[in-house]
Amino acid sequence: MSLAANLRTRLARAPASIIIMASLLGAFVLMALFAPLLAPFDPARQSLIQRLRPPGHTTAQGLTYLMGTDDLGRDLLSRVIHGARASMLVAVASVSVSLLIGSALGMLAGWRRGWIEVAIMRFVDIMLSIPAILLAVLAVAVVGPGFQTLILVLGLTRWPRYARVAYAQTLQVATLPYMRAAELAGAGGPRLLLRHILPNIAGPLLVVATAEFGLMILFEASLSFLGLGIQPPTPSWGTILSAGRQYLERAWWLTAFPGACLFLLVLSVNVLGDWLRDHLDPRSRPRG
Amino acid sequence: MFKRLAAIVMALMVVTAAAAQPYRDSITIDLPNDAATLDPHLQWDTDSYAIYRNIFDNLVTRDVSGKIVPQIAESWRQVDDTTLSFKIRSGVRFHDGSPLTSEDVAYSIRRIIDPALRSPQLSQFDQIASAEATDATTVVMKTKAPYPALMAQLVKLSIVPKAVVERIGAQAFNLQPVGSGPYKLRAWQRGVGVTLDAVPDYWRGRPPFDTASFRVVPDVATRIADLQTGRADIVRQLGPDEAVRIKSDAKLQVLAAPTERIGYMFINAVSGPTQDVRVRRAIAHAIDRKTLIEALLQGYGKEVDVVLTPANFGYIEGIGGNAFDPARAKALLREANAVNAQLSFLTSPAYDRRLVEALQQMLQEVGFKVDIQTMDHPTFLRRRQGRPDEAGSISLGRWSCACQDADGVIFPLFRSGSIWAKYANADFDKQVDAARATLDEAMRLTHYRRAFEILRDEVPGLGLYQDFAIYGARREIRWQPTANEAFFLFDMRWQP
Amino acid sequence: MLRYLLSRLLQAALTTFGVMTIVFFVMRLSGDPVLLLVPEGATREHIETVRRELGFVQPIWRQYLTFLGGLLNLELGVSVVQRVPAWDILASRIPYTLALAGAALLVAVGFGIPAGIAMAIWRGRWFERPIAALVVTGQSMPTFLSGILMIMLFAVTLRWLPSSGVDGPASVVMPAIALGMLSMSTFARMARIAVVDELSKDYVRAGLARGLPLGKVVTRHVLRNAAIPVVTIAALETGNLLAGAIIVETVFAWPGIGQLAIQAIQSRDFLVVQAIVLFVSLVYVAVNLAADLLYAGIDPRIRLGKP
Repeated sequence: MSLAANLRTRLARAPASIIIMASLLGAFVLMALFAPLLAPFDPARQSLIQRLRPPGHTTAQGLTYLMGTDDLGRDLLSRVIHGARASMLVAVASVSVSLLIGSALGMLAGWRRGWIEVAIMRFVDIMLSIPAILLAVLAVAVVGPGFQTLILVLGLTRWPRYARVAYAQTLQVATLPYMRAAELAGAGGPRLLLRHILPNIAGPLLVVATAEFGLMILFEASLSFLGLGIQPPTPSWGTILSAGRQYLERAWWLTAFPGACLFLLVLSVNVLGDWLRDHLDPRSRPRG
Repeated sequence: MFKRLAAIVMALMVVTAAAAQPYRDSITIDLPNDAATLDPHLQWDTDSYAIYRNIFDNLVTRDVSGKIVPQIAESWRQVDDTTLSFKIRSGVRFHDGSPLTSEDVAYSIRRIIDPALRSPQLSQFDQIASAEATDATTVVMKTKAPYPALMAQLVKLSIVPKAVVERIGAQAFNLQPVGSGPYKLRAWQRGVGVTLDAVPDYWRGRPPFDTASFRVVPDVATRIADLQTGRADIVRQLGPDEAVRIKSDAKLQVLAAPTERIGYMFINAVSGPTQDVRVRRAIAHAIDRKTLIEALLQGYGKEVDVVLTPANFGYIEGIGGNAFDPARAKALLREANAVNAQLSFLTSPAYDRRLVEALQQMLQEVGFKVDIQTMDHPTFLRRRQGRPDEAGSISLGRWSCACQDADGVIFPLFRSGSIWAKYANADFDKQVDAARATLDEAMRLTHYRRAFEILRDEVPGLGLYQDFAIYGARREIRWQPTANEAFFLFDMRWQP
Repeated sequence: MLRYLLSRLLQAALTTFGVMTIVFFVMRLSGDPVLLLVPEGATREHIETVRRELGFVQPIWRQYLTFLGGLLNLELGVSVVQRVPAWDILASRIPYTLALAGAALLVAVGFGIPAGIAMAIWRGRWFERPIAALVVTGQSMPTFLSGILMIMLFAVTLRWLPSSGVDGPASVVMPAIALGMLSMSTFARMARIAVVDELSKDYVRAGLARGLPLGKVVTRHVLRNAAIPVVTIAALETGNLLAGAIIVETVFAWPGIGQLAIQAIQSRDFLVVQAIVLFVSLVYVAVNLAADLLYAGIDPRIRLGKP
C-alpha cells in the first residue's frame, strides 16, 4: 500500500478532533497563501488618528476594523492575516533546513560509527552547547536581520536536535538483528539508510519537527521581542505580539487575536504530528 | 539533586531586597540596567549615572532652572581666557571621614584627563590642559584654548578622594566607591541592584531617605507592574504610552520634564540619493512633526525646527523653514528626478519602533521607497559612525551632550571630520569653530544663528522634537525632574 | 570502561575548545565595544586611542592566541566594559541561574512526564485531548507574553507573588513556570511516544493478556525502556534552561546568566560572553556525558567500549 493510499484510508477513519485540527491547519495555510486577497486593508497602512481602536470600530468614513487597530492605527485583522505568511514561512523553511541537515548527519553518525561518528557528534555537541538564542542574536548582529538571515540562523542552529535524535534512534535500530541481516544480504549504505533506517526513525524525527515548528514560530517572536526579528513594515505574529504586550491593559485585542491564532496553529500542528506518528508509522517493529 | 540544590540556593538568596510597603524612610527605584561601573570617571551611561551621582558631589551643579550654581566649588573666577580659579568649599568630608581638599579636586580633574585611565568621558574634558591646587582652598585650571562650554562640562565632574583611589587602585575603587555625596554604598549585587545608605551629617543637610535601593528591571512592562504592586516607588525611562497607562492609576503619578535631549533625523549628505539637497529638503517637508508629537509621543515632546533644544545654550528661536508640506516635497522629488528613490533607514532597538514606522509611512507618502534596516545597537553605531556609504540614507538619533550647549550637539554631529558628520560645509565649520573659541556669548549666538541657517538650507539633519524624560512614581513622591536628566535623590521627598 | 571515560573526557575538552573558538570568531566579527565605551561626541582620535589600548587593533589571530593562552592559565581576563574580572561577573550570577534552571526542570519533569504517561495510557480516549491541549499550551505562547500575563494576574491583580526580582523562594515561582513550560511540552511528548512504543510491544501485550494490571506493567517495564529518549531530551534541555532563559530573565528581572548574556552581547563585552559560553558548555558536556553513561546502564545493547 502506498503512503498516500495509506494516508487516505487512515484519514477516513480519523476521529473528529483530527479532522478539526487538519481543517484548522488547512485554513491557516490558505490564509497565508491568499493573504492579499483576504485582508480587508493594506496591513502597512497607518492612520495615526485611529490608534488603538477596539474591535468593530467604525470610522466616520464607514470603514470597520473588525479586530480593531494597533498602535499605529493599522488594521489588526489584515496584519494577522498577513502575519500568518511570515510566521509560517519562517517556521517551514527553517524546520526543513534543520531537519534535512540534522537527520542526514545523525543517521550517518549512528550507522557508520568510527571517526565519522565522533566528528559529527562532537560537532553536534559543540553546536548544542551554545544556546541557540545566544548564537542567533550574535549571528543577527553579524549578518544583519531579515528574512533570509532568520531562516539561515534558525536552520543552522537547530539541526543538532534532529541529529541527536536521529543518532540515538539509529543506534537502537542498527543493533537489531534484521538490520545486520540486511547488511549481510548486501544492502549498500545509502540504500540501507533510506529504505531500512529512515522509516524506522521517521516517527521520532517527525515529532521533533512538529515540536520545532511551534518553537520556530516562538523563536521568531523572541527575536522580534529583542528587536531583531522580521523587519517592519512586514507583519509577523511575533512582531504583532511583542508590540502588543505593551498594551495589555489598554488594548487587549492586540495580543488576544494573534495570540489565539498562534496557539491554534501550534496546537493543530502538534496534534496532527502526534497522530501521524501514531498511525502512519509504516515500520514493522521487530517482535521480541 | 536539582531540587535540593535549588532549595539550598534559594535559602542563600534571601537578600536585602526592597520592602513591598512604602517605608517612609526608604525609597526603591527601578532602573532598566545595572550600573556598568560606580567609579564616576569610568562610565557615562544614564543608569550608572543615576546611581553614582548620589554617592559623589560634583564641582558645580545646576539648579532646577538650569543655572550653573556652586557645589564643591564655592565660587569661581575667570582669570584670563584660558584660566579659571575655583574656591573650594571647606568642611566637606568623604564617607571615610577624611576632609575633601583642593588637592582632591585637582586630582579628580587630572585623573579624568589622563589618557591612561581610558575614561569614556575623556573627550568631554580634553580641552583642559592642567589643574593645580595652589593652596588649601584654591584650584587653578587651564584650558588649551578659550573654551566656552567648560563650566557646562564641569557640571559632570565628580570629586573622588585622592588618598583612597591611590591606596586601593581603580579596580577596587569601582567596587567600593568612596565619595562625599549624600549617600554611601552599602551593597552592590551585580545584576540585582545597588543599595545606598544616607550620610546623616551630609554637608547640605540630612538626606531625605535613610536607604535607597536601585533595582535592575530591564522590561518596561515589568517596571510598571512593580510600581503598581508597590515593589518600586519610582521607575525610570517610560515611554509616552506607558505614561498614559500610569495616569489611569490613582495611586501613581507621571513625573516628566523636557530635557536637553534632541530627537532628530540624520540625513546622509555625502552618499546615496540624499546627496542631492533637493531630496534632503523633500524629506524635511514630508515629515509632520505635529502629528508625531500629538499622536505618538502623546504630547511628551516639543516641536523644534533646529537640531537643538531650547534647554541648550545656542538655541535660536524662529530659524523656520522645512515646514510640513507634502506637495512641496513631491515637487522637489520630481525636480530632482528622484521619485521612488530608495532610502535605507538604519535603526536599532534603542529607537522607538513606532516612530521609525510612522516616519517610514510619511516618507513613502510623498514618493520615497523606505527600507528599514534594524540591527543591534553596536552594529548600528559602527555603521552610523563609519564610512558614509555604509551609514544609510537616514536614521534617528536622540542626542544629549549633558552640557546644555550647542557646542556639544551640532559640532560633533555636523562639523566635517567628526565621526557622526556625513556632511561637509566650510562655512558651517567656520561658524562652529568660531563659536567654540570665544567666551563672548553674544558673538557665539551670532555664529550659531548663521550655523543653523546653513543647516536649515542644506538639511544634513532635521530636528524633530525636544525629548522628555518620563518617570512613573507613587503619588506621595515630590520631585521635579530637570532638563539634564539628573537623578538626585537629595531633591526628592516623601509627602503624604 | 576507563578507556571509554578518558576518550569521552578528551572529546569533551575538544567540544569546549570548539565552542570557544566559534564564539570567539563570531564575537570578533560582530565588532568591538569601543564605540559603546566612548561618549557620544568622541573624536576619531580618541576612539582610535581607546581601540589601540584595549588591543582591538591587533590581528585577530594574535588576539585569539592571547585568548587561548589566558584560557590555558584558567585566566578569563578583566571585562573592559565593567572593569571587573569576567569570572567574578559570571560567578555572581551562577546561583540564580542554577536556582531558576533547577526549579524550571522540576516544573518540566514534574508535570511533563506524568502528563506524557497519562496521554500514552489513555491514548485515543477523549480525555487525552484536554491533557494534550494543556501540554501544547506551554509550547504555543511566547514567554515574553505568558510572563507578563502571569505578572499581571498573580502579582498585580491577585498580589500572591512578587512582580519581579529576587526576594525569597516566592520569586522563583513565576519565572520557573514560564521557563519550564517550554521544556514541559517536550518532556510530555517524548514520554508519551516512548511509552506508546513500549505499550505496543509483545512483551507488554503478553503481560496484559496474562492479567497483569496495567499500572504494574508500566511502572515495572515500560518506564525503564522508555527512559532513553527521555534522558536524551533532558540532556538536550540543559543548554536551554541555563542560558536560553534570556527572555524569561529579562521579563522577570531575574539576574541569571541569560540576562547577563544578552547584556554582554549588546555591550560587546567579549570576555563575559566567553565566560558564559565556557560555563554553559562545560555544564552541558558534563550532563550529556552523564546521559550517555546512563544509556549504557539502561540498555546494555549499546556498546560503550567502541566509540
